[in-house]
This record gives sequence, C-alpha cells and structure tokens, in this order.
Amino acid sequence: MPRSPLQIWWLVPIVAALALPPLLNGYWLHVLSVSWYYAILAASWALLAGYAGQFSFAHMAFAAIGGYASGLLAVDLHLPVPLGILCGIAAAGIVGAAIGWLCLRMRGPYLSLFTLAFALIFQLMLIAEYQFTRGSLGLSVPEIFAGRSDTPYYYTGFVLLLVSLSAMSFLLRSRVGIFLRALREDEDAAEACGIDTALYKILIFTVTSAIAGLAGGFYGHFVGILTPNLVTIPEMGLVVAMAVVGGVESLPGAVVGAVFVYVLSEVLRDTGQMRFVVLGLLIMLTQRYAQNGLWTLALGRGGRFWRRPPPRAVAPEAAAPAVERETNVG
Amino acid sequence: MASQLAAPTALVDARALIKRFGGIRAVDGISLAVQPGELVGLIGPNGSGKTTLINLMSGALVPDGGTIRVGGVVMNGKAAHVFAGHGVARTFQIPRLFRRMTVLENLLAPALTRKSAHGHGTIALRAAEVLTFLRLSHLAHGEARALSGGQQKLLELGRAMMLEPRVFLLDEPFAGVHPKLLGELVERIAELSRRGYTIVLVDHNLDAVRGVVRRLVVMARGRQIADGAPDEVLRSPDVIDAYTGA
Repeated sequence: MPRSPLQIWWLVPIVAALALPPLLNGYWLHVLSVSWYYAILAASWALLAGYAGQFSFAHMAFAAIGGYASGLLAVDLHLPVPLGILCGIAAAGIVGAAIGWLCLRMRGPYLSLFTLAFALIFQLMLIAEYQFTRGSLGLSVPEIFAGRSDTPYYYTGFVLLLVSLSAMSFLLRSRVGIFLRALREDEDAAEACGIDTALYKILIFTVTSAIAGLAGGFYGHFVGILTPNLVTIPEMGLVVAMAVVGGVESLPGAVVGAVFVYVLSEVLRDTGQMRFVVLGLLIMLTQRYAQNGLWTLALGRGGRFWRRPPPRAVAPEAAAPAVERETNVG
Repeated sequence: MASQLAAPTALVDARALIKRFGGIRAVDGISLAVQPGELVGLIGPNGSGKTTLINLMSGALVPDGGTIRVGGVVMNGKAAHVFAGHGVARTFQIPRLFRRMTVLENLLAPALTRKSAHGHGTIALRAAEVLTFLRLSHLAHGEARALSGGQQKLLELGRAMMLEPRVFLLDEPFAGVHPKLLGELVERIAELSRRGYTIVLVDHNLDAVRGVVRRLVVMARGRQIADGAPDEVLRSPDVIDAYTGA
C-alpha cells in the first residue's frame, strides 16, 4: 500500500530531531531533553482527556508513581534502571486501573475533582513518608548513563516519545479509537451501541497512566532527583496547557504544544514572572481563537496540500480506507 | 381488551416491571411481550412511563421489580451494552449522536462491537448500505452535529441498524421532525418491519404511529390501560379518558 504524503511528511521532524544535537549547546540540549518528557505526558493526557473525555488531574501523580517506584527500586534494591522503569510503568498502570475503576460512575467536574484529590493526597504522602521518599528534600536516584553529556538522554527521551506515540496511535487506529471517542461524546449512547464503557474507561486510564509512569521513570533517572513538586497543581496545569495549546484532540498537536510551550518558557526565562503572563495569554488566545489548538490551526491554514479531499459519498470500495482515515490520530 | 399473554416465543418479554423514582412509580407493574417480527406502537400521555419502560427494556435502567427476558434470557441487572449484545437496539427521545464524529463513524461504532464483525471492509459495506437506505450517503464524512433534526433521527435509526439487532426500541422517532422528512422516516420504519425486524415504537404522533403499527399498547400513570388493534384501542373509553383527562 503506497504511503500517503502525510505519513512521509512525518519523517521530516523525526530526521530533524535526530540531527539536532550536534547543533545545540548543552543548555538547549537539556531543555529539549526535558521537553520530550513533557511531550510524552502531554500526548498521553491528550489521549485520556481529548480523545476519551476523561478530564483527569492525576496525570502527574502517575508520572511520580513511575518515577518513585523506579527510583526506590534502584536505590533500595539496586535493581537495574531499565528494569526499575519497567516496574514503575507497571505500578503506574495498576494504580491507574484502580483509579479508572473507582471513577466509573464519575463524569465531568466530579471526575476532575476526584483525580485532583488523589494527586494532592499522593503528594502529601510523598512528603509524609520521609523515611522512604526523603520527603521534600528529594530522592536521589541513579542516572541512566554515565558521564555528564545530555546527548544520550536526548535520544533516549526522543525514542521513548516515538514508542509512546506509536503505541497510542496503534490504539487509536484500532476500533478502540472509535470506542474512546464515542465514550467522550456520550457514555449512555455508547453503551446503547454495545460499547462496554466501563472496560474502556479502565483501559484508557491504565494505558495513559502507564505511559505517564514511563515518562516519570525517564525524568527521574535523567535529572537524578525526584521531589514531591512533581505532583503540584502548577506542574499538572503546565501539562494541560501544553496539550491545550497544541491541540488536545491530537497526539502530534500535544507533542508540538509541549515542545513549543517548554521552549518558549525557557526563551522567556529572563523576563521572570512575566513569562507566566505570556503563557497565560497564549492559552487564553488559543482557547478563544483556536479551540482545537495551534496544530489544528496550522493544518487548516497551511497544511491542506497534504490532506486528501473528502469523498462525496461512501462507495463500498471507498469506505474501507475511509475507516482507517476516520480514525486518524492527527 | 385484556393484555396479551406472553407467548413462550416472545422475543422481548417484560413481566410485572416496576420502577420507582423516589416516591413515584414511573412504571407500575407493566407486562409487555413482543413477538418476533411484530411492530408494536406504545403511546400514552406525557409522564405515563413510556420512556422509562424503554430504558428498562434496553438496560439503561435497572427495574425495582419484575423480570425482563430477551430471547428467553433473563436480563435483569445487565448493563446496556449487554442488552445491545443480545440484539436490543434503541434510539433516544432527543437524538444522542456522537456529535463530533462523522456520520460514518457513528455507524461504525456499534458495528465494531459485534462479535460477528469481520474486518473493516465488511463493516464499511454494511455502513454504505445503511446510508443508502437512509438516503444519507452524501453526508457520510460530515460531522453528525451538522445534521438537521430529522437527519439526526435517521442517523440514530441507522446506528441502531448497524447493531444488526433482533429488536428496535424507537423512542419518539417522529418528534420534531419536519413533515417532509416525517414521511420518509415512517416509510423507513415500515420498510424495516416488512423486512421482518421486530420494533417497539413510542411516539405522540398518533397518525404516524397508527399508520405503521398493527398492535397498539397504551400507558397511563405507569400502567398499561389498553393493548390491541389500533382502531379498537383508540376507541377505548379508558384511552380517551387518559388523553382528555376526563
């Protein structure tokens, strides 16, 4: 099957990202490496909130579960870091499944408040359980690579981002993608259509929490220290802002939003608190003029040349590829 | 006009159903047996419990008393998606489409839940047939929220068809539909009946309902007050009382 121009187009940013490190100084290499962490979080939160309609504020808590689980296993049991990260992914996924199960009957603001309460309780636990987590002082965890260069972290983070995006895209291109969007649109109608909404709610919480756990594991072993500040409301707000600015109903949009917002905040670092004013205005303007995010705006304005025109009617032979196209992730 | 007794072959068999909301008995001991291939009209004044009965028969609500069987299987307490899996398809009083999904995606969602679904090609073929049947083919790739009220009713009917159900529970499919589209909707439902589908049709539009059904059930205050041939039922003093409030 021939590749569409859109699929080939994706190679451009991938190749550019792979070629970038030699052109960057240490500071910007670090910034972009951290931005991959935020990109994984923003994309997985976009899958949870934008596609499945589960507006959770517990995402950073799942990242912290992954990070702390991996870090503690490495520190206390001297587990190899990759194995620790895998355990962190599993821990975040299991807790995510439990939260998904507890939230089955909750919708909209009730779900948001429940998950926010969970995140705050988890943050307090990290502070209170000092003997395990070292509380607010932070838990020093071993780094993945020896040496002081951020280059291996840059590539590791980028590969993890690509792997996460591939897994999420695979999910969205399967029938689960349509079920999740139906769940977002109307749970009762989805049930009437035969969709087991409880199953898919738990599934999406499990998957996105596990991915957040992966991001947390990577981040912890990258920066070398984990603190409860990982789970603060501003940190969660930053991830939400990244997804919203990029496009909360689009995985690439959330990734672009994460990199854009994080890089912009670093560019504006010298302006002090004013950078938060600029970022706030950016979110307000995006919500006012481009509710689907800057990515969708860019596709609509500048990206039409790679979009196929919609068929006028469904013919049986045309409908099958349409099924795949309609479940697109962009 | 005694209530029809449930024959052993009833496709949907609701017996002595009770549903309370606080102190109100929205459904108060109703029994309704629908035979395969029947097109049953269910009418009644506002607040008579028609939609609650549909909600009970589709698993959206759990009855406080009585039993519901679908194809002989007791379904009490099962989730709505299990009812759908047993071949119960429903529409809603106010269309509840997946508004930000395309018309085609709205049709694909129920079809993809079917265990018998064999690949996208077969499902897409079925979706194309349904779109043609409903004369919505030209709107396949538009978002559902862009449809007119009548088109939304048609799409909801199509979404139910994609489940390949054994019975349709249609809740006020004619409400708010433009007269021109109303005729089309009536004709589509009649055509489904001619094809052998089992249908329970709830509506206030008596002319439209009596034009297609061969059996009419009337509810009032959560109870069944009449069941029989439409002309006979509509002449019943109890039914006239219920509608005129006399």
